[in-house]
Amino acid sequence: MAVALESISVTGTSVEISGVSRVFRVDGREVNALRDVSLTVRPGEFVSLLGPSGCGKSTMLRIIAGLDRPDAGECVVDGAIVRAPSLSRGVVFQDHRLLPWLTVRENVLLALHKAPIGQDGREARVLELLDLVGLSAFAGAKPHQLSGGMSQRAAIARALAPRPRLLLLDEPLGALDSLTRSRLQGELLRLWEHEKVTVIMVTHDVEEAVYLSNRVFVMEPRPGRVRGIFDVSIPYPRRRVDADFVALRQSILDILEREATAAELTC
Amino acid sequence: MNWAIASRLDLRPWLAPIALAAVWAITTSGEHGANPQLIASPVSFIAALLQGLRDGSLPGAILSTLARAITGFFIGTILGFSVGIVIGLWRRPRLIISPTVDALRQVALFAWIPLLSAWLGNGEAMKITLIALGAFFPVALATAAGCANAPLPFLEVGRALELGRRVQVTKIVLPAAAPDIVAGLELSLNIAWLGTIGAEYLIGTGYINGMGDGVGAYLAAAREHARMDHVLVGVLALAIIGLALDRSVALLSRRLFPWQSR
Repeated sequence: MAVALESISVTGTSVEISGVSRVFRVDGREVNALRDVSLTVRPGEFVSLLGPSGCGKSTMLRIIAGLDRPDAGECVVDGAIVRAPSLSRGVVFQDHRLLPWLTVRENVLLALHKAPIGQDGREARVLELLDLVGLSAFAGAKPHQLSGGMSQRAAIARALAPRPRLLLLDEPLGALDSLTRSRLQGELLRLWEHEKVTVIMVTHDVEEAVYLSNRVFVMEPRPGRVRGIFDVSIPYPRRRVDADFVALRQSILDILEREATAAELTC
Repeated sequence: MNWAIASRLDLRPWLAPIALAAVWAITTSGEHGANPQLIASPVSFIAALLQGLRDGSLPGAILSTLARAITGFFIGTILGFSVGIVIGLWRRPRLIISPTVDALRQVALFAWIPLLSAWLGNGEAMKITLIALGAFFPVALATAAGCANAPLPFLEVGRALELGRRVQVTKIVLPAAAPDIVAGLELSLNIAWLGTIGAEYLIGTGYINGMGDGVGAYLAAAREHARMDHVLVGVLALAIIGLALDRSVALLSRRLFPWQSR
């Protein structure tokens, strides 16, 4: 894994989150989505934010993306404090959010509006990306003509188009059936190695986190915070039935279960 | 297979008109039929229809009505769309203009006639203005609402992609608002159509200015001369043309926004 990390850390960016808190007001009550969260992601790493709903993992991702601002603390990406969204940080949402009135090609092209490569260069980049995610034959299709898995591939192509150095995935495979899901997990690994980006993925699927990540940040709710960090030192490609894999998955599940029981007791 | 044929030759929409025509034929036939001053018989109706087609008075009336309705519709909807965009996209203009627009739209269309006729007389300018005024409000309100309510998830995509304000509007806000805008256009067309007939019927007919033209004036003349057969011809023409306009706009919007039906 050390070798893999070195070879992929060429263009990926680092992320440093220190003391981030975020409070939402729901029905006049304050909900601590995140309280004093600190974590570091190394260049080229694939990490997962894992936890039950309400643990603030998506909020964390939105703060890194610049779509949300923390009430306290700061998020530093590649040495600069995040204040607004940027094309250098690609985002993939759970609901693919392709614009329904544009074709797949036009959706990806939209992400290249700032790329200094000319119209021909942009068209070429779109074709390259659609080829990369296996959608070349669907460049002219509208999103409503695609399956869930294909839509998510297109959304990933859109996020990767401007060559971001950080890819943020918000439960990107959460809405897919299990077969499509495991196939796309393999695709994600391939894209990660091909594009050499840093990846932060939000998920509530333990197996997915262990299968894909270098490290797993396990989070817990009320208030949202990091409960534990797991190094996944199993070499790629991983097999879900290997003893190491199963053991690690189980110890993460145990933590989540204890969390859930504790939460029930306090409710 | 059977089903396909059945759906192609669906007769159900025709049942009610056929039943109405049958009742009409029965009540007006024979010596004890209804008073011809109140309702004309199918025979005299068809005669009036043929005569109107032959001497060109009916097609002429329909054409001038359509031209008037469409002119007013275009003027009203272009202005309505523009005002709607301004209200929908910018907060300050919304605060300034919106309450006034909301108040003005409460005034029934024909309640503008006294004011407008004082300013514009009883000629074509007055009629077109009235029609345009009717067409203005639905599309203005629908455009404003559609733009203001563009889905947040898509707006976030725009932010994440660093789109400028102009691209954000043309690629996200307007397409997202398009179904609302089309619904507004349909309503505007409907009101323009009804407003046209009313304007033709009420404005500039009678003894002062002579008769105007259009189906509304045709109806007014029929009433003036107590020609019940002409009244029925005019009413039927309105129903059929109105329906045709309505259906073509609905068809057009389905073509334009196929993702809406999914």
